[in-house]
Amino acid sequence: MDTEDRLLPLLLDFFELPADTPPEDIRQQLLPAWDSLATVQLITDLERAFSVNFDIDEITRLRSYREIRDALIRQGVRFDNSADQRG
Amino acid sequence: MNLIHQWTGSFPDLQQAAIRQAVESASLAKIRRALRLLQELAPEQRGPVLNVEILSTFNLEPILPVLQLTLNCLPSRAELRLAPLDNIEGYISQSASADSQKLPDARVVIWRLEEVLPEALYPFSSGFPKQLAARVDQVMARVEGVVSLHQRTAHGIPLFLSTMALPVNFANPVSAAQHCAGLFASVSRVNQKIYEVATARDGIYVLDLASWAAFEGRVHADAIVDFLARQPLSAKGQLGFALFIARCLRPLITPRRKVLAIDLDNTLWGGVVGEDGVAGLKLGHEFPGNVHLRIQREVLELRNRGVLLVLLSKNNEADVREVFDSLPDMLLKWEDFAVRKIDWNHKHENLRDAARELGLGLDSFAFLDDSDYEREQMHQFIPEVLILNETPDPLHTLRSLWETDAFDSLAVTDEDRQRHRDYSIRAARDVGAHRDDLEAFLKSLEMEATIEEIGSSNMERVVAMLGKTNQFNLTTRRHSRAQVQSMLELSGSIALALRLRDKFGDQGIVALLLAIPSGEDATLLVDSFLVSCRALGRGLEDALWAAMVGRASQQSVRRLEAEYISTAKNGIVADLYDRLGLRRIQPDGGSTRYVLEQIIPVTFPSWIALEGQTYGH
Repeated sequence: MDTEDRLLPLLLDFFELPADTPPEDIRQQLLPAWDSLATVQLITDLERAFSVNFDIDEITRLRSYREIRDALIRQGVRFDNSADQRG
Repeated sequence: MNLIHQWTGSFPDLQQAAIRQAVESASLAKIRRALRLLQELAPEQRGPVLNVEILSTFNLEPILPVLQLTLNCLPSRAELRLAPLDNIEGYISQSASADSQKLPDARVVIWRLEEVLPEALYPFSSGFPKQLAARVDQVMARVEGVVSLHQRTAHGIPLFLSTMALPVNFANPVSAAQHCAGLFASVSRVNQKIYEVATARDGIYVLDLASWAAFEGRVHADAIVDFLARQPLSAKGQLGFALFIARCLRPLITPRRKVLAIDLDNTLWGGVVGEDGVAGLKLGHEFPGNVHLRIQREVLELRNRGVLLVLLSKNNEADVREVFDSLPDMLLKWEDFAVRKIDWNHKHENLRDAARELGLGLDSFAFLDDSDYEREQMHQFIPEVLILNETPDPLHTLRSLWETDAFDSLAVTDEDRQRHRDYSIRAARDVGAHRDDLEAFLKSLEMEATIEEIGSSNMERVVAMLGKTNQFNLTTRRHSRAQVQSMLELSGSIALALRLRDKFGDQGIVALLLAIPSGEDATLLVDSFLVSCRALGRGLEDALWAAMVGRASQQSVRRLEAEYISTAKNGIVADLYDRLGLRRIQPDGGSTRYVLEQIIPVTFPSWIALEGQTYGH
């Protein structure tokens, strides 16, 4: 299955956003619900859903769909259509 | 995750599916969705209200939804209140001075070494061994202090104290073990104190997070989230933690299963007695007989802590008798079973009969059987019965006994330990033991009854009995203390309790009767009449009735009225008043009214001695 399809719905569900929200709008700055508590909860959700453990540098930069996607790719998660595939 | 599915078996499919998805994914969105769907259910489907206050030294806010979900799955209408971080004593004091109506149904204190005694992680920087040992003493005193503060300010509210898990993140585990003031010993001392306080004081329970963490292993911890937000639990750990807390609180709202109905062949021993003969059965210290022996040990332990055993076996009784008499390693004895059903009838029918004989509801039963067919049939015919195992494998059967929460309780009382005997008496009576044998047997119990007035000295027990007695209870009126008090104040009311002693010791108050003057002249109405389920089948109702009638005739009562209000559980007394010689006047829906026009003294049962007649003369 296309992995990208997993991150986007996870974030839409997590922040209870409409299904047609553009990925670039999923950013901490734009979402009041994305506070520090939500960040902690989101980290746990992501670690569980993608079987990854973020490092400290990454944790401080999980502030948008794009950054999370990049961090997951660095962790070896494959995203189809990604130029930066690993693993 | 099986537990949560067992707990939520009564929820509609939609809610069950949402819970399954939430538990499997552990995703916050799915947890919130499951919670929303649960909130849509009618209150009676959701279970009892359960207000829980949690005081923690680490940050539980991120996992509040998970906790909320597992508690809602008990099922309950749980509401969680999280105290400010690491402010245990302050919060307890402050909530005492606030509105006392806001006291929770249960309070939970969760603490860990990292906050309470961080010095133990760095012993050589903390005055090891002497100063560190002194700090441990202080923490132990703090445990006492928290409990005392709670009991002073929230008396009667159950308090769950967590033990402290061994830290996951620290250096030098080898040297930490080498000294009685080292890290491991320090944790043990604090935890020992927690167990001691809970043992010594009523209403204090242990939430054994140390055991839980040891059982879960390091996977429960997540160092990075701990550093980030003082939330130490990994994604996997959160759900296990929340389930563990829910399981520990569950006995507050859910009675445990009272009976284990169990099969014989390939369960309590390996092999089939009818085919393999006694000599061919596998039971003992060799594999695989040792698995069956261990099953017997677990079952015997359940019996000894108050779970009644019912034998359900499709066999010839003589064959089974022979095994009990002659198989050397049999740990369970014939008499260990309160009821034995060894024949070729359907097991669900036999279980219904056993329930009737014991006077217990079908939802009091758990069932173990290696046969897929028997388990399936039981489930189809009596869905209330909890099926413990899912496969025929004996090791799986054993595991199901290790893992089930069906028999969880927060305390095992003397009453629990005696339950087996009390119910055996009752079952023997109900299967129609020969009257003379029965009288001889009842006489051998050396019963002595004391009839007491109901008043402040026994009020607590009386109100508790009114609140929980279901079977031998003619009207099932759950009167409060205040209601009982106002009945006592009515001129001419008769309120009696029966205290029982037998050769096994003081059984306390086991029966009571409340009668109040009725509108008509010199008429007395029996409002409540009940006998504790552990004292049934001994004729105590006759004794108490005789005492009441004696008192009534002295008070020149001319007419007695009584009432039987039928419930799902009190069929055992449907014809009690007929037997006592009252006349039915009219059935009125679920209730039947009775009258006794002429008060004639009744004979006290010959097998009960009457101590210190506090009524009459």
